[in-house]
Amino acid sequence: MKILIVEDNRHLVQDMQEFLQENGFLIEKAGFLEEARQKINLYKYDLIILDLGLPDGNGLELIPEIKRNDPSAGIIILTAKDTVSEKVKGLEMGADDYITKPFHKAELNARINSTLRRGKFDGNSALEYGHIKINTSARQVLVNNTPLNLTKIEYDLLLYFMYNKNRMLTKESIVEHLWGDRIDESDSFNFIYNHIKNLRKKIQKLAPVNYIHSMYGIGYKFSDKEQD
Amino acid sequence: MPDFQSYKLLSKTTLIYLLFTLTAFLVSAFFLTNEADEYINKELEGRFNHTEQKIRRAIQQKETERAKRYAEITVLNQKPADFSLITYSDTLITDSEITERDFFRKKTFYMEQDGSFYKVSILKSIGDFYRLRDDIFEALLPAFFVLVIVIVVFNYFLSGYFFKPFNLILNHMRAFKVGQKKVDHVETSTTEFIRMQNLFSKMVNTIDEDYNNLKEYTENMAHEIQTPLSIIRNKTENLLADEDLMAHHGHDVKTIFDETNYLSRLGQALNLFTKIENREFSNPQDIKTEAVIRKHLSAVNDTIQMKNIKVETELSATHTLFLDPSLLDILLKNLLRNAIQYASSDGPLTVATTADSFTISNYGDPLPFPEEKLFIRFQHNNNSKKSLGLGLAIVKKICDLNNLNLAYNYHEKQHIFTIRGNLMSSVVP
Repeated sequence: MKILIVEDNRHLVQDMQEFLQENGFLIEKAGFLEEARQKINLYKYDLIILDLGLPDGNGLELIPEIKRNDPSAGIIILTAKDTVSEKVKGLEMGADDYITKPFHKAELNARINSTLRRGKFDGNSALEYGHIKINTSARQVLVNNTPLNLTKIEYDLLLYFMYNKNRMLTKESIVEHLWGDRIDESDSFNFIYNHIKNLRKKIQKLAPVNYIHSMYGIGYKFSDKEQD
Repeated sequence: MPDFQSYKLLSKTTLIYLLFTLTAFLVSAFFLTNEADEYINKELEGRFNHTEQKIRRAIQQKETERAKRYAEITVLNQKPADFSLITYSDTLITDSEITERDFFRKKTFYMEQDGSFYKVSILKSIGDFYRLRDDIFEALLPAFFVLVIVIVVFNYFLSGYFFKPFNLILNHMRAFKVGQKKVDHVETSTTEFIRMQNLFSKMVNTIDEDYNNLKEYTENMAHEIQTPLSIIRNKTENLLADEDLMAHHGHDVKTIFDETNYLSRLGQALNLFTKIENREFSNPQDIKTEAVIRKHLSAVNDTIQMKNIKVETELSATHTLFLDPSLLDILLKNLLRNAIQYASSDGPLTVATTADSFTISNYGDPLPFPEEKLFIRFQHNNNSKKSLGLGLAIVKKICDLNNLNLAYNYHEKQHIFTIRGNLMSSVVP
């Protein structure tokens, strides 16, 4: 999977690059609108992460060109401007999703995966890890080939874990993924705790391994390896 | 407002003008009566002289009896001590012929003829002269009053005409909003108004410039500060994932992570605040709230369940708010978040709308701080250090900028927020 990151902040690009490479993506970078334009016209990308505030223009300009060159390419808008109109404009022009700075890398990873999944595999792909299989289009979960009944939140939580397996996810990142800013953090950590407890119990009934590990009270890690 | 009374400019100038006119009238009246007196004196002196000559002639010709027809003549035995003295006196005398009291002037002098001394007193009627003088004075007063009435009436009618451009300019000033590029020009030929208008335009330009600078600064800040924060957060997440490091510095890294998150959320919330204040959400429209409220309620459904709160709704199909749709979303999101956060399970969280009001209420302990501070930024319960304390301030700001009346009440263990609206009739001033 090849991803083009169009973003002018080198630190951020480098950080994203390292992270996404660890997740098995091929990364190319462009710091300017013109540079990005050239790359889009020369190469094919599965997904383009597009910052809107570029030094030589607004990233929105690129969307029609991307769509013209390769309609199947996914586009995720990356912006600090959380103005609704900018986002809406981007989505209307053909972007698949948006993510607002500052974001959790795990969140970006989840968005990338779900965008790619929708585009490339017509939503039919199955995610598999250890004893767990998820059919994302049917929203169906199998543990040890037995269907697992999950609430909507538990399903979203599991999917988020599956996209970011073997990586510690902070509670903040999980809360933001599940509820955005609809919830006050003082409340939310208890909710997370309860949901995770339930999810863990449900999986453990069918699988011999504990997948969800609590990490120093900061977050959780989804892994089939036992933690110490 | 100053506590002394204010008066219209035109009333003031009229009053002052009238005072000056009154003075001018009084001065001219004084001057005219003086002139009249002088004339009377001169005229009388002529007549006195004429009679005096006749009397002198008569006495010279020894015809004292004839002279007595003109004046009262007394023969004196010796030369009076004040022989050369001439006296005048005004007296009121009843004329024997017309039996009417009238003013007379008496001139008394002495004369010598062939060793005899005479005291001569001549009387001349001056009543007519005095009446003439009074008439002059009396004619001036009515003239003054006519002038007063004419001026007041004219001012009353002209003020509307002359001050029309002034009031128009004032209306433009009142309607002026930051970010508004142009102010309509008012046509006027009055120098003062032109100057005022020019100054106002200049101020608008300056305000506009300042506003744009500030806006640009805010936007740049929003953009520029979020990226470094993003990097700090990501790097910290890398540290969090390092198990060796966490074993030694777990607490420190966690603190950095928490504070960075707080800063980042704070920045976003303040940006939102600025955007609302700058009226960047400026697409107000009549929105039927029922569907929107239901959408928001279902979005927080699971948090409500987790907190074990019951929700009761009583939504009116006709309740409408005139608001930008994004602002309505922000408003509802914040009110709901606040209600859920502080709700106790003593009773239901209620969302109700009627034809003209929106109410959200939750059970809970009374506020630990004075009610007036509820909508102030960064005012929050001490036990929730993590909340920003901006939610209700944002709600308040949205209501203020959109002519919505937001009220808070604590009644029977319930925190009640009510928004009464601008309804459909809301015309942005």
